[in-house]
Amino acid sequence: MGLRSFIHSLTAPPFKHQNLTNEDVKMVLIVNSDLKMGKGKIAAQVGHAAVSLTLKCGKKAPGLLESWLASGQKKICVKGESAEHLLELETQASSNGLLTTKIFDAGHTQIPSGSLTVLALGPDLESHLSDITDDLKLL
Amino acid sequence: MVLIARKDLKLSAGKLAVQCAHAATSCVLAASKSEKRLLERWKNDNARKICLEIEDLSALQRLAGQAQAANLITHIVKDAGHTEIPSGTVTVLGIGPGPRRSIDALVQDLKPY
Repeated sequence: MGLRSFIHSLTAPPFKHQNLTNEDVKMVLIVNSDLKMGKGKIAAQVGHAAVSLTLKCGKKAPGLLESWLASGQKKICVKGESAEHLLELETQASSNGLLTTKIFDAGHTQIPSGSLTVLALGPDLESHLSDITDDLKLL
Repeated sequence: MVLIARKDLKLSAGKLAVQCAHAATSCVLAASKSEKRLLERWKNDNARKICLEIEDLSALQRLAGQAQAANLITHIVKDAGHTEIPSGTVTVLGIGPGPRRSIDALVQDLKPY
């Protein structure tokens, strides 16, 4: 431990777990099923979404990120109908105060450049996410 | 960064995607501790990711060993087994972010998933 982090560990306020209710914290990844992407393509796109949302969450809600990591990084992958559907879900999610990330493809391979491929929500408590994602089917 | 999935498990698209996402986040978190500059470079370069397939567990473990020997960041994902496959099954190996040349040397024989 460096000197600065040692001093920080003495003076920083104790870490508060936001997840007091023992409820599951999870991340939901919604794939645009309108685009006919291969499995590997979907996997890479979902990977992009998860990484950028994790980094975002680390800045904006570190408490949630901690409890998500500690509970095994739960992720669920579901189907959205189209790009419009994904955008609609995003507006709904951000008005509920959820963190969101959209992934647009660079278009090197299977689909046109700039297509909206994945929308990611969370990580957040299951009860916060269920309003939005309950109707979606698993991929 | 490359994400190498076992093709013998025959995972569904959603399951595969989630497993790869696990590998990607874990590798990035590891990189944010040990390889900050590399991580920044990778992010600025559109956070390149490729998903490849590999025959079975032993080939995956061999590759993981080689990657570690080459000082690359690696992460092996084991499934918690809530759904399709038994708990503890190794599903995906994540390598990187790392220099393109050293990663390419390891995975050039693998096919895209």
